[in-house]
Amino acid sequence: MSVTDAPASPIEEDRPAPSPRGRPAAVSWLLWLLRRLGLAVLTLWLVSVLVFVATSALGNPVRAILGRDYEVSPERVRQLEGLLNLDQPLPQRYLSWLGALLQGDLGTSIASQRPVTEMIGDTVTNSLVLVLIAAVVMIPLAFGIAMISSAMRRKRGDTIIQTVLLALAGLPEFVIGILLVALFSTTVFTILPAVTISVPGTPPWSAPETMVLPVLTLVLAVSPYVARIVRATLLEVLDSDYVELARLKGVPEPVVMRRHALRNAIVPGIQVIALQLAWLAGGVVVVEYLFSYPGIGAQLVDAVRNHDVPMVQALSMIIAAVYVTVNLVADLVSILLTPRARTEISG
Amino acid sequence: MNQPSSSSQLSRRRLFQYAGLAGAAVAGLSACGGDDGGGSGSGPQQRGGVLTHGATGGSGKDTLDAHAPVTNPDIARVSNLFEPLLFWDNNYELQPALAESVEPNKTADEWTIRLRDGLTFHNGKDVTAEDVLYTIGRVADPKNPTSAGVDLARVIDLQATKAMDDRTVRVVLKQPYSILDAIVAEYTFGIVPVDYDPAKPIGTGAFSYESFTPGKTSTFKKYAGYWGDPAFVDQLVIQDFADDNAKVNALLAGQIQTLDNLPTNLIDSVKGQGGAALVSKTGAWVPFTMRVDTAPFSDNRVRQALRLIVDRQQMVDQALNGYGSLGNDLYAPFDDAYAGDDFPQREQDLDQAKSLLKQAGQEGLQVELFTGDDISAVAVASANLFAEQAKAAGVDVRVTKKTPFYGDDYLSYPFAQDFWNTRLYIPQAAVCAVPGATYNETHFDNPKFTKLVNDATKETDEAKRNQMLVDAQQIEYDEGGYIIWGFREQIDGYGAGVQGIEPSKYLPLGSYKFQFASVSA
Repeated sequence: MSVTDAPASPIEEDRPAPSPRGRPAAVSWLLWLLRRLGLAVLTLWLVSVLVFVATSALGNPVRAILGRDYEVSPERVRQLEGLLNLDQPLPQRYLSWLGALLQGDLGTSIASQRPVTEMIGDTVTNSLVLVLIAAVVMIPLAFGIAMISSAMRRKRGDTIIQTVLLALAGLPEFVIGILLVALFSTTVFTILPAVTISVPGTPPWSAPETMVLPVLTLVLAVSPYVARIVRATLLEVLDSDYVELARLKGVPEPVVMRRHALRNAIVPGIQVIALQLAWLAGGVVVVEYLFSYPGIGAQLVDAVRNHDVPMVQALSMIIAAVYVTVNLVADLVSILLTPRARTEISG
Repeated sequence: MNQPSSSSQLSRRRLFQYAGLAGAAVAGLSACGGDDGGGSGSGPQQRGGVLTHGATGGSGKDTLDAHAPVTNPDIARVSNLFEPLLFWDNNYELQPALAESVEPNKTADEWTIRLRDGLTFHNGKDVTAEDVLYTIGRVADPKNPTSAGVDLARVIDLQATKAMDDRTVRVVLKQPYSILDAIVAEYTFGIVPVDYDPAKPIGTGAFSYESFTPGKTSTFKKYAGYWGDPAFVDQLVIQDFADDNAKVNALLAGQIQTLDNLPTNLIDSVKGQGGAALVSKTGAWVPFTMRVDTAPFSDNRVRQALRLIVDRQQMVDQALNGYGSLGNDLYAPFDDAYAGDDFPQREQDLDQAKSLLKQAGQEGLQVELFTGDDISAVAVASANLFAEQAKAAGVDVRVTKKTPFYGDDYLSYPFAQDFWNTRLYIPQAAVCAVPGATYNETHFDNPKFTKLVNDATKETDEAKRNQMLVDAQQIEYDEGGYIIWGFREQIDGYGAGVQGIEPSKYLPLGSYKFQFASVSA
């Protein structure tokens, strides 16, 4: 969904974009935004069809839920079939589900017989906090590593950093997590909790030490990609003619790095960060499972295991919505920061 | 758990007649926890602290309903909040709990329950006969019986069942039922007050309710007014775990002190950190099931041949990683009437098996064995192993994994597997071996057998009843449809400094009775 590729042009002066054909810039912007929003809604709608068809194609959910008891408890079979509207044809079921979804009604959880919205409120917050903290740690870290690495290009430090980043990028997050647990919680040191055990009613961050390893795992899983993309962009800019010119003019190297290289690396950085954040929305599943962190990942695993169809549908839609929103915001920010793209829209 | 030495000589029923012994039995249980050093710590047990138990499984479906626990964490919770009238001790024998006696009349159609004196619920209210009546009515509700009450709802006369005084209840039955004492000892039969609300669970257990989040954490505090010896720890926390590794990591990091269902491959890492594995015998089995009404298994010679093909020791060694004991095609190993140790132990005998198959005209037999992951990991492993063992007898076994196994075809597979947990003989036969039984996978229907089991249910003379059950088992041993190759052992784990947890044949971790456990600082 990337709007621009890594720009090779210098940052222009920040003045209002011209609109040569006379159409006011604001209107062009609004049209672009509307088109982009429309695409996002279309994507979500397609996802909703996929989610619904996929969860309905898994066979009779009532049979899966009741297992060995299916044959012997016709009353519960009828009750569950009523709850899932299984007596209606598939398209009608989809429409009533979508209708309720648009009104913010996510249905009733089969496992607990409570409204899904009530069930997932806390876990969605817990996951968002986890991802946000991971992002806040990861972004400056990745940019920092990229800057150090590009400043030390082709020296031993750069080689070491690149090797470590490549190795980390090759490790699945559950391997990283298990290694961290062995290092800090069980085998080498026992200084950090291995899993999240939170007192009921209090969020996990009320015991901050339990957040350390999940956050660290996510940061280590995601940072290598961001750092490597940003480093590549930085190197490209540092090799360009106008930076060479700036250097010849006597601009000090730190200023070159800060004002020219970094500012040009921000946009591709945002794109890869957005991709990684969107991945995190689904990728926390493994990390939450590993650390028993009470978030949507653990809840999704739980719901799938319970054949809790309304819950699986709701959580899938939330993850998809986060994915689409993050990408939308990233595109928006990229355009605002890229003069050429900005000009194209206004023009 | 050390039994008082007298109990093996006394019949369990006679034991209850000594009201004084009742208290001693329970007191003895807690005392031996302290002296034997059942845990990995040493020295006397310490008071105070928090015990956090890591429970396997659990989900948003979790419940605190005293009478509807399903998962391991559910069972751990209700076992500490509530108590039944009698209880199964660690040796799977009945002991008094809230009742000092549960006595049948001569014909076993009227039972008298006598409550212990000085019992209180967590809210301070006395436990009375009315509460017992309410509980029985809830468990054996004919419209919606809970798991302990399915059988009871069929035989109980709820109208005629009455409180005689504050501490005495007379249970009236429509027909003789000689194992009522076994039913009221189930962990699913905890006594609750008349205004019981599962959302605010009030029981009589050594721990009272503090908080509960389904699928996650629940907390309980030591109940000061407990009738027995008070708990060692001040607080009990039960944490659900979906993942085995997370559970063991939490134990190694000292975040939890006990865990149930420790995977065998992780035993060494627990021991390496000063913890210990608790191994308990159980009556749980994962049989091969042959339909006795379907060819080729309708020929008893084929069933006998397949029973002789199994190398039982290899099954236990490989499918159970050695944590199990041999089976002899009979279930309910803890029942007083269990005959599996008295009949000759069936062993692999390929020559005999081949000869039986030849007699039956089934040389070069090909059969399809249905299995599935939803039975248990043991099922798939033992199915594959059986296919290997059958090759040596010239039998071609094709293993077919069904997903889900418990789907449309369950109960109609000609040759398949299933799982069962610890039960006494009569309740087990009632659900798996008589016509009309809910899960009669082998379609066993032997009128002589059915009559023996039914008669035994009505017989109060223990010796006579046991003889009937032995005769019934002889029939199953000779012509039944089960291949019961072994009983699995229960393996749990606990961390350094935990004391007082004994192996139990009933439920994991000393039947989850955490009041006997202590933790060191």
